[in-house]
Amino acid sequence: MRTLMKGNEAIGEAAVRAGCRCFFGYPITPQNEIPEYLSGRLPEAGGVFLQAESEIAAINMVFGAAGAGARVMTSSSGPGISLKQEGISFLAGAELPCVIVNIMRGGPGLGSIQPGQADYFQATRGGGHGDYRTIVLAPCSVQEMVDFTYWAFELADRYRSPVLVLADGVLGQLMEPVTLPPELKPDNGNKPWATTGCRGRKRNVIKSLYLNPEELEAHNKKLQEKFGLMQREVNRAEKYRVEDAETVLVAFGISARISMAAVEAVREEGIKAGLLRPITLWPFPEGILQSSLPKAKKVLVVEMSAGQMVEDVKLTVSGKLPVYFYGRTGGLLPSAEEIQTQIKLLEVKVSERSLCQA
Amino acid sequence: MNGKNVLFIWEYVIREETDVAIKLSDLTHQKELLTGGHRMCAGCGAPIAVRQVLHAVPENAQVVTCCPTGCLEVSTSIYPYSSWRTAFIHSAFENAAATISGVEAAYRALKKKGKIGEDFRFVVFGGDGGTYDIGLQALSGMLERGHRVVYVCYNNEAYMNTGIQRSGATQLGTWTTTSPFGERSAGKAQNRKDLTAIAAAHNIPYVAQAAIHSWRDTVNKARKAFQADGSALLNILAPCHRGWRYPMEETVEISRLATETCIWPLYEVENGKWRLTHKVRQKKPLREYLEKQGRYSHLFRPENEAILEQLQAFTDQQWEQLLLRCGETTES
Repeated sequence: MRTLMKGNEAIGEAAVRAGCRCFFGYPITPQNEIPEYLSGRLPEAGGVFLQAESEIAAINMVFGAAGAGARVMTSSSGPGISLKQEGISFLAGAELPCVIVNIMRGGPGLGSIQPGQADYFQATRGGGHGDYRTIVLAPCSVQEMVDFTYWAFELADRYRSPVLVLADGVLGQLMEPVTLPPELKPDNGNKPWATTGCRGRKRNVIKSLYLNPEELEAHNKKLQEKFGLMQREVNRAEKYRVEDAETVLVAFGISARISMAAVEAVREEGIKAGLLRPITLWPFPEGILQSSLPKAKKVLVVEMSAGQMVEDVKLTVSGKLPVYFYGRTGGLLPSAEEIQTQIKLLEVKVSERSLCQA
Repeated sequence: MNGKNVLFIWEYVIREETDVAIKLSDLTHQKELLTGGHRMCAGCGAPIAVRQVLHAVPENAQVVTCCPTGCLEVSTSIYPYSSWRTAFIHSAFENAAATISGVEAAYRALKKKGKIGEDFRFVVFGGDGGTYDIGLQALSGMLERGHRVVYVCYNNEAYMNTGIQRSGATQLGTWTTTSPFGERSAGKAQNRKDLTAIAAAHNIPYVAQAAIHSWRDTVNKARKAFQADGSALLNILAPCHRGWRYPMEETVEISRLATETCIWPLYEVENGKWRLTHKVRQKKPLREYLEKQGRYSHLFRPENEAILEQLQAFTDQQWEQLLLRCGETTES
């Protein structure tokens, strides 16, 4: 059965269905419907909804609940996610699973409350201090917000790691029909490492502090091996008409939906364009991108930022093809027409191009 | 008609105890430092509180205003417009007190070096979310260091700017979008914290609790706050009809009822001395205040009567404690 749901509320419902019974949040636009929805839904489901006094408090409540073995989630937007970074670093260091949702808005600073995608660097490079990465999932529809929230809990538990769901203000506020997944039992899974009371077993220790440098290096090595495993195992992207495409667009989230419309429109005019939509932003789907360029002569990256993912695209393409960039910032969305214009500009002889090569 | 010669029929002057007499007509002739044309809702209590406070700025003093994110900030400073006839600095949600501390410290340094001559005053207008909750750490630091700043909390008892979420100032049993009512919940499950007393515990020169219906009281308190040689805090009840669910024209009346039912008493703590500034002669039952507001409508269902009683009991207990602190009663 399909239900009409707002993106933010759909994330809340998906979390409950994934067996999450703990949510710690704090108000910030444009993600308020997530805590609002869960403040009603979680008590009904026998869970805990708690509005903290700040984002810092909320993420550390997540630390506490995750350490006790609970499936736990928090959500915020740009400035709030920045405040959470210390906690996210601690969660990654202590190897605690949790789901963190970022409904991105325009930045930097207070920026705006309009949609943005400029938290890509923060999300995919760890974000906080120290050597760590988190898995980052980028939905482009309300259905994917449901599916990826559900999936995020599974990945978090599998790798004992925080997992980010990176959406934006459009998706958070968008209403679309969704098919909801079956409801899992609020089972916190098999977590022998959790601090659940050590009667009858050796005590568990959860920490990110290793004062002995050799010990810390060993811990870091172990973490890096885990991140390597994630890179091998978690790669997802959607290919759209790339088989014969001479111009391959790369875009994620809402930018990808708009780019898809632009690809269709220029195809009508005989321009062979295609789109690759990364779904896992970290690990970046390098292999899938490389396999999407059989006929490609150039790559155009479209983002709602001044150019962040374009760096990962360039690293992947590795100088074999020219990589161009088109972005809008400040809460503005690129229109399909604007993107079409950019694609057509690339068709013009190199000497006449006004477009900058990224 | 010359405005200066008009005698308003509602003008009256009462010299109350030690308070300096304030004429309403004088205030109407003062230049407003928060101009009209801002985008606050019609019937909002916050700009009333701000104007009352800014009427107390000493003559010839320059003002630096700092607002953390909130209704007031987003509605009065949408770039490139500003409703402020003061210097204005906007901070993030959690750090208005830290931001203004920096500004005030820089002013002191420049003044000491003789690089700045004028008299500057520093004021923060923060909502209850930014003051009671996320900004409390920065506020406490500012009060402890004793920066000469007037920190004003315009208190509408929830996060209104982000869509009416509960805050540390929200009373027990209140409906908000994150403290819903239904089978498993009867609104907010906790009592509000006492920010005014928390500020007073920093032993700063001046702390007061005020409400927008009592303009003379608020202006008086703001004058004392600006005169204080150190930090001062004003916690001003500023009803929000959108969040509290009452007809917009009743903002002032709702504020008055809050004081008359003693859920929001008016008092000050001057150099450690607690004093009631409005003596409630006939304390009204809390119901009279609650039943006017949609955010409490569920409390009048039979199953929630206990919550109503709890809130009345909490209000009574807080009131008795205040009377004791103010020397109005002695412990029996």
